Amino acid sequence: MKILKNLLKSPMFVTGLVLFLATIILALIGPYVHTITMERVGPQYAPPAAQYLLGTDDLGRDYVSLLIRGLRSSLYVGFLAGIIATTVGTLLGIYGGFKGGWIDDLINMITNLFIVIPSFVILILISSSLKDGRSLTLIGLIIGMTTWTWSARAVRAQSAALKSKDHISLAKINGDGTLAVIVKHILPYLASYVFMVFILQVASGILSEAAISMIGLGPLDTVSLGTILNQAKNNGALGDGVWWAFIPSTVIITVIVFALYLINTSAEGAFNPRLRK
Amino acid sequence: MSVFEVQNLSLHYLTRFGQKIHAVTDVSFTMEKGEILGIAGESGCGKSTLVNGLMGLFIPPLYPTSGDVRVGGESLMNRSPKDIRENVLCRKVSMIPQGAFNALNPTCKVKDIAADVIAAHMKEVDKKHIYSRLRERFDLFGMNTDKVLNSHPIQLTAGERQRSVIGISTLLNPQMVIADEPTSALDVTTQKVVIKMIFDLLEKGIFSTMIFITHELPLLRHVADNIAIMYAGEFVEVGTTEQIVFDPRHPYTKALMGAMLSAEPGQKQKKPTAIEGAPPNLANPIEGCRFAERCPVAKPECRKNKQDIRMVAGRQVRCEYAE
Amino acid sequence: MLKQYPTLRYILQRGGWYFLTFLVAVTINFFLPRLGANNPVDIIMGKSASGLSAENARIKEESYLKEFGLVKVDKGEIVRNAEGKPVKASGLEQFANYIKMCFKGDLGTSFQKYPKKVLDVIAEAVPWTIALQLPTILFGWIIGNVLGALAAYRRGVFDRVFFPVALLISSFPFFVFGMLLVYYFAVVLNWFPAMGGYAQEIIPSFSFEFLRSAAYYYVLPFFSIFLILAGGQAIGMRSMGIYELGTDYIKYAKWLGLKESKIIAYLFRNAMLPQLTGLALSLGTMISGALITEMIFSYPGLGMAILTAIQNNDYPMIQGCTLLITISVLIANFTVDILIGFLDPRVKAGLQIGKGN
Repeated sequence: MKILKNLLKSPMFVTGLVLFLATIILALIGPYVHTITMERVGPQYAPPAAQYLLGTDDLGRDYVSLLIRGLRSSLYVGFLAGIIATTVGTLLGIYGGFKGGWIDDLINMITNLFIVIPSFVILILISSSLKDGRSLTLIGLIIGMTTWTWSARAVRAQSAALKSKDHISLAKINGDGTLAVIVKHILPYLASYVFMVFILQVASGILSEAAISMIGLGPLDTVSLGTILNQAKNNGALGDGVWWAFIPSTVIITVIVFALYLINTSAEGAFNPRLRK
Repeated sequence: MSVFEVQNLSLHYLTRFGQKIHAVTDVSFTMEKGEILGIAGESGCGKSTLVNGLMGLFIPPLYPTSGDVRVGGESLMNRSPKDIRENVLCRKVSMIPQGAFNALNPTCKVKDIAADVIAAHMKEVDKKHIYSRLRERFDLFGMNTDKVLNSHPIQLTAGERQRSVIGISTLLNPQMVIADEPTSALDVTTQKVVIKMIFDLLEKGIFSTMIFITHELPLLRHVADNIAIMYAGEFVEVGTTEQIVFDPRHPYTKALMGAMLSAEPGQKQKKPTAIEGAPPNLANPIEGCRFAERCPVAKPECRKNKQDIRMVAGRQVRCEYAE
Repeated sequence: MLKQYPTLRYILQRGGWYFLTFLVAVTINFFLPRLGANNPVDIIMGKSASGLSAENARIKEESYLKEFGLVKVDKGEIVRNAEGKPVKASGLEQFANYIKMCFKGDLGTSFQKYPKKVLDVIAEAVPWTIALQLPTILFGWIIGNVLGALAAYRRGVFDRVFFPVALLISSFPFFVFGMLLVYYFAVVLNWFPAMGGYAQEIIPSFSFEFLRSAAYYYVLPFFSIFLILAGGQAIGMRSMGIYELGTDYIKYAKWLGLKESKIIAYLFRNAMLPQLTGLALSLGTMISGALITEMIFSYPGLGMAILTAIQNNDYPMIQGCTLLITISVLIANFTVDILIGFLDPRVKAGLQIGKGN
């Protein structure tokens, strides 16, 4: 509670929170404020005007509609990938760090292996072989399954450090099982840490989806901010100076990621007082 | 002339909200050549802040409020950080830090850290000369000199690191040495090694005057000539070791002695007693006695009346009712 | 064993570890694409033959089948069944053939650029990628870390302005930042070219004219990668630096009256080590990001090669590129690891860095 109070005093945290909430609210109420349509509403690449506030794309579709759709997709992928990566990583990290021994060695080895093999490569390999069934959810799942290594590594270090703390030894002497000790004594201490890991994983999920869509391996079942950019690039919008085709989506991606970074950095400062000032 | 004179020294920290924390208030004492002064008090009583003040090292947010510190008659106040760094630190006043275990830069060899110290304080330095001088000095410590000097801290034992730190701190034969809890957080064996080494250096005349700061009063009995007791930024009692340990007069000193476990024969039946309460907030210290809140014999007026140092039974005491 | 040569032991240990990682990467590269419905066997059977006469199609298909180890081969000839059809190799045999090919340095033939070898296509692209990415990552890392250390040490106004700016810059995805730079500096201001690695009318050679043109085309891609990388590194270095400032050895150095420059050097050297570890871990992400930036600029490097391959379902190319990217990331990682070993005495002493203090 005290930490939350401190956080709310930090201008960085408040800015991040406000920006992030703003994007979420936009994604949630957007469809009610603006009629979403995927139909042609005007000519190809019509500049912003009263009837289509952010212009139209190469198929004459309304960019406001596309962006709201895209934002919803990006947030969905980000949260899906973030939840998977954080859950898998946290469970493996805590278990390995706490248990030690060969289980820890094994988890550690797998983590270190997959951390150096670029997840981008794995994404390309999987996505390019799944040409027809590439849905947004599938992409979120794949991103989550390739980025959990980061959470595992970070959480493992923390839980290994906690293991030697007195109150945990005491709980073990009292005969609590591994699971009980983890749930009762380790998780609460790691909660703030896991929260920060989650924030970063959401950001990285959003970035990964944009990257994979950018190279033409994005979802086939919906619009995302990455596919909007990919389309703009493929149609030469960049060279033709059709700014409304790519600037709004770049701004939205950057604002979400910046907001998440702000929240993470200020939270780090609150949990680690030395960084504050 | 006294080697070290401190007159009415007060220090404060400035918080980022512009608030002043009066960490040290009105500290005065003088030391003669060859004297060892022990300073004792609870954690957070201002001991470590005082150390910075005694070296003239004011790194924001620490600032001097008033008073003077003189080494060999030369004042350390109102001097530029560069001047203090080059001419005072290590040469006149040197420091043996708390937690010497991590005090050495882990990415440097011991000889390089030592060479950096010499280079920082001498105008012309000849590398070869530095290393031969280092070897000579480290030979005094009864270690494998070549191994220690050519090692990274990680490769040394705890004892070797401690001795290296003391060796580096006393490299330039300082007039004054301040040892700030040099033995805290050490096991008993290593503690002994450190104390013995300090006394070796005193005997060999590498330095002669020392302030020994600790929260362990019993340790001071064997080390110090005089003892000052510090509470909430003030010296509350200053006297000879004999006086403070066996005949304390200030209520806080008494309480502190009572809180110590003693291994002395005949004192077994005495149970240590905890001092209730916590030290006061130094952002807005009360005008009166700072110990009044926790003092077992406090009178109502103690909280209002400003307490000054006065002589009681041949030592200084900051309590108007002490006798 | 090798106790008396800790450096050599460390290098061998790391080398062995990366070789193991390499084997796993090769395995992944083989099996992952075969998990999907759209697997390379079908692609080869179907796609490679389109637009050819029946006889030619059969010859081409069989050459692919042989090349990819998808059929049994005996003494250089395809083993055929009674009807004269090639006999399919089992999954394990295919894998063995694939590994054999990898170690021979043979990555197959491109579908799209038939009969060009994948390795030849890649060899044309790699110099561009190295020329762009190596200096960019190196400079970005160094400059970002120096600025971050300064921000940590000085704090104050510099830090208050610098830190949010660095954080904002590092929130841009590489390629998004690249797009904005192209739009503003190439399209709006028309200062720099929007795409390509050199002017189209010049034929690549080591002439002054060509190098000048390449340098001119280099500016925008360089900055789009450099700025984001430096920003991210600066943020990391800043928090490491602030952490190190509170350590005992920095306090002691101040008490000893060491020069300010010396103290900053101590700080930098110690804070840099976890940063190097961080670099080793994030190299894969950096290189991937930079590859996408290359695509934005249609830079003639590996990024474009993959993009074209993906767009054309050029399976051998995709697999060749992914393998090559993995190998370069592993080599870069290995180099950083060795560097850490030389710079940090704690590593050689067998301790993990980033712990303790």
